[in-house]
Amino acid sequence: MGFGKYVGARVLWAVVVSLIITTITFLLLAAAPNPAIREAATQAALQGGDPSAAVERERELRGLNQPLYVRYADFIRSVYTLDWGWSESRSQPVTEALLQALYYTAQYSIPWTVLTITVGPLVGVYSAANMYSWRDHVATGFAFFGYAIPNFFFGIILLLIFGVWFEVVPISYDTSVPVFSVQNVRQLILPVFVLVTGSIGATMRVSRNESAEFQNSEFMKTAKAKGVSPLRSYAYHVMRPTLVPLSTTLVGQLLALFIGSSLLVEVVFGIPGLGRLTFNALLSQDTNLVLGSTLVFTFIAVVGNLLEDLVFTVLDPRINYDDR
Amino acid sequence: MSTPLLEVEDLTTTFSTAKGALTAVDGIDFAVAEGETVCIVGESGSGKTVATESVTRIVKEPPGRVEGSVRFKGRDLLEMSEPELREIRGYEIAHIFQNPQEAMNHCYTVGWQIVEALQIHRDVADETARAKAIDLMDRVGIANASSRFDDYPHEFSGGQKQRVMIAMALVGDPDLLIADEPTTALDVTVQAQILRLLEDLQAEFDMGILFVTHDLGVVAEIADRIVVMYAGNVMERGDVLDIFERPAHPYTQRLLNCLPEIGGRKGGIPGTLPDPLDPPDGCRFAPRCEHAVDACVTGDQPAEIEVNPGQRASCVHYRPGRDDSVVRDGIPDADADGEGVSSADD
Repeated sequence: MGFGKYVGARVLWAVVVSLIITTITFLLLAAAPNPAIREAATQAALQGGDPSAAVERERELRGLNQPLYVRYADFIRSVYTLDWGWSESRSQPVTEALLQALYYTAQYSIPWTVLTITVGPLVGVYSAANMYSWRDHVATGFAFFGYAIPNFFFGIILLLIFGVWFEVVPISYDTSVPVFSVQNVRQLILPVFVLVTGSIGATMRVSRNESAEFQNSEFMKTAKAKGVSPLRSYAYHVMRPTLVPLSTTLVGQLLALFIGSSLLVEVVFGIPGLGRLTFNALLSQDTNLVLGSTLVFTFIAVVGNLLEDLVFTVLDPRINYDDR
Repeated sequence: MSTPLLEVEDLTTTFSTAKGALTAVDGIDFAVAEGETVCIVGESGSGKTVATESVTRIVKEPPGRVEGSVRFKGRDLLEMSEPELREIRGYEIAHIFQNPQEAMNHCYTVGWQIVEALQIHRDVADETARAKAIDLMDRVGIANASSRFDDYPHEFSGGQKQRVMIAMALVGDPDLLIADEPTTALDVTVQAQILRLLEDLQAEFDMGILFVTHDLGVVAEIADRIVVMYAGNVMERGDVLDIFERPAHPYTQRLLNCLPEIGGRKGGIPGTLPDPLDPPDGCRFAPRCEHAVDACVTGDQPAEIEVNPGQRASCVHYRPGRDDSVVRDGIPDADADGEGVSSADD
């Protein structure tokens, strides 16, 4: 089986995984009481009508009296045709609300991810090359600091220092500034910094420890005997094999942070992104919107893992994609 | 001996360790002439690998420290800057190593790694470099070289990997090839093939070869001259035939005695290598030598004395005015076994 077939099989598997997750979501939803129906019953009772008739009417209206498999087919079709329903709390289609939120989330997520996956391995390999020097200790200290301090707390402290005391960054997020502008950089610099410190530690530690092994390897001696300069040998002969184990931890780390921390950071910095959208949807019991954002996170995770698998195979030629 | 290609004088390599300075190579001399094969022989830990890695200073510095003089084609390598040395490494002086399994980067194709060796030295177009690499792979005996160019190291066997390493070493048509136990990790039939390949290539490329091994069978096969090392010092040197027929130093005699077909007796040398952090006074081998006398355990390693034309040994018994019959031409008797340490107090 060639590489193309392997990629095909992985993509197919990702589709199956996302299908399984949407199925579980559907079953959970079908088992849970629908707040809209309870609402209808309450309404009917308050207006002196028959609550059970109102429930029946509402169920019919929402198609809940149909057999489970019909509802399931409907649900799956609407998921894959992006017909994700109406958000009650925001009075707009769910997909529209999600897209708007994604627009703001992307503005800090993209620079944050890029910084983590470029600076992290570089600093990690540099640390390994200067192991136990003061530079290594500074980098290690920074890594553990970022690792240990809760992102939301760090964000508040930074806002207090730079927003309130020094007044160099705005305290509240302004959605009206253009994406590529100095003001936007200024209001995003703190959330990006907070997220980078939170995620870069793991990247640095993994790349430091992995590359420590490779920099003492036989092939580094070969490279030196060939006349390869230290810089080149680190860039090619240490960095490249380090990326293989790194790629396996990186995606998981970033996804966990993306899903977990983005909410807290968005709340602290007042960014109307995906995290806050989900949070508010939960508070206002907006089922469709909660479901929609769950699906978004699911697809991001599935695609992330798919990418990880593919990157891993490309980076390490020893991985045999036969029989997998 | 023709013009020396490589002349090493008073080469000393020390490593700073937590327990103090470790002297791995203790002021040794040796030379390699053009087109000649010199074997450095000794047991594991005798400093032979460090000695060869000190020639082009690929030992890690720090903790290593290389002193002395290494003259290659008239220039002292130890006085060169790193960039100057890099031009020589892999182009004029090439290395091959003991473990071909680990010596190549598993993330790149063998072709890429050969081309890298060429392109860091000369500004060669990719197509030309590829053609040259395929030609070299062909010459070291890799079948279907052009289709194997894009294969990864894990797709090659151990012997094939060593061939690729040799191809990589040949990119600059080197004057000197340093081969550090290149056949030790390979099985016997492959060993013979690689040795023959090296001999053929030596004639073809007119290379001097500095060959490190502990395998005396390999030495007999490939060497023109031998340097016997023990505990960072040279014990004896000379032409391969002289040393095999008339080993002068008790250590060489003992070492050869380990060869079943010569000594007729299997067995090692009693005792162990001295602690490199705290080497004994006098001859490093004295604590294990059955011929050791008072003069052996004082001062430094004895100066080398010519025992036969072209053959020199670092042993006090050959000093003028001493009776060297106790050690000369001697293979130790079988009954002398195990008395080495006690007789050192004589």
